[in-house]
Amino acid sequence: MPDSPFWNKRHETMPRDQLEALQVRKLQNLVQWATQQVPFHASRLGDAGVTPDSIQSLDDLRRIPFMTREEWMRSQVEHPPYGPILAAPESAAIRYHMTSGTTGRTPIRVLDSMKDWEWIAEMWCYGFWGFGVRPTDTVFFAFSYGTFVGFWGAHYACEKIGCLVLPGGNMTTEARVKQIVDMNATVVCSTPTYALRMAQEAHKLGIDFANGPVERLILSGEPAGSIPATKKLIEDQWGAVAGDTAGMTELGTIMVFECSEQPGGTHIIEPHYIEEVVDPVSGEPVGYGEQGERVVTSFGRGFIPVLRYRTRDLVVKVPADRCSCGRTLDIYEGGIVGRVDDMKLVRGTNVYPRAVEAIVREFAEVDEFQIHLFTAESIRDEIEVLVEIPDSKADADTILKKIGTELSEAHEGLRFGVRQVANESLPRFELKAKRLNDEREVIGSAGEKRKA
Amino acid sequence: MPKTWIVPPKGLNDAELALVDAYNTLVKTLEESSEDLEPFERRNALKAVAALWQVMNGLDLDPGHLYDIGA
Repeated sequence: MPDSPFWNKRHETMPRDQLEALQVRKLQNLVQWATQQVPFHASRLGDAGVTPDSIQSLDDLRRIPFMTREEWMRSQVEHPPYGPILAAPESAAIRYHMTSGTTGRTPIRVLDSMKDWEWIAEMWCYGFWGFGVRPTDTVFFAFSYGTFVGFWGAHYACEKIGCLVLPGGNMTTEARVKQIVDMNATVVCSTPTYALRMAQEAHKLGIDFANGPVERLILSGEPAGSIPATKKLIEDQWGAVAGDTAGMTELGTIMVFECSEQPGGTHIIEPHYIEEVVDPVSGEPVGYGEQGERVVTSFGRGFIPVLRYRTRDLVVKVPADRCSCGRTLDIYEGGIVGRVDDMKLVRGTNVYPRAVEAIVREFAEVDEFQIHLFTAESIRDEIEVLVEIPDSKADADTILKKIGTELSEAHEGLRFGVRQVANESLPRFELKAKRLNDEREVIGSAGEKRKA
Repeated sequence: MPKTWIVPPKGLNDAELALVDAYNTLVKTLEESSEDLEPFERRNALKAVAALWQVMNGLDLDPGHLYDIGA
């Protein structure tokens, strides 16, 4: 069979009416599975009067109650460690991952079985293959390989495709840059921020990436992969094309990818998900071309059924024919364009201001604080916490170090700067406090302030 | 017939039918004869069935779940 631009042609070019019929059938199966296996879902679906038979069209999806991150986390706090959301016994799991939480040290914890883990890789295969990655490629992963799910699935996807995989965990940036060149890597996977950091390091080392072996970058973890100015800067510095992807720990994998036609957005892998776009306030659906909040229903990971999960991501859905690739899968124009809530993505890690506050407030010596986000050297997101410690007898150095360590441990190893500032120098609030100061710029722009 | 047995629909080609057959055979073996398999046999069969499940799912054959057999 000749080389195909599609990983699964029948899925990716399925007529829309057939695609919707497939989604309805899968939704019926999912409702049945969730009702049978998961009391958490059974009671919610039961209360709403939703049964498999009551799902006859995609409009019926709206009868299913929304699921929120807060509910999920609360259920895990009340029933640790996973909450009453597992559809299979823990003994069937082969994999554990977690993501940083919205409050303090409570993460979202997830489990996957063998076939779910294969499915996670399968989703990445749609993305890698669709962006032109083939068995002849050598793929370098600039990824730390920890409990954050990140590029884990992508690693296995590339093994499945037949690529030579170079796992670049536990390496300095210099070592990564050298290995990319020494091993003639043709594909590099990283966050957009880190792609720029590696390019900067290469320049310092006298390595000309633009004339090097890398042909493609697969980006994930931050919205910047679809911000034109940032993407252009990355592509120019690497002399390679850059494709955006986006996923979430709650799903275990990606739900969208940019194809090799680079339509200025990401195709939704609709045979495996229903992605609704709703008004963040009313919850009512919005039309093509209108910005709204992503709500995802996943048919993949059976271990933890996800139905109508409010992601808080802001997107603009446009029809598939916006792209010339032949896929019938709709597109998120500009990828993930922002957030409904106050979560910030910093070098691929979710940071919720209230989670930072929960940790900082454990240190009674800290009188006031501020979270400061900024762009360093025009290419890199940095986060620091400014603190006031008025008691001159307090061991400030030890406190700063402890806060930094605990913040990092609660955020997948993300490096936080923690700096003492003069007493009474930070703003005070009487009503709604605003302790987040986001001064980040659109990387690749002339200092334009970032929106998300 | 095991509950997870897949009846292939019309329209699959011979190669695809062979994959459905292989999947059904593997699942049936793991459901009914798992205790007769050595660890290396059982665990590798589970890995294979987890991979073939992606084919069944990609063909939209509603393969259900495999947690009961350990995949």
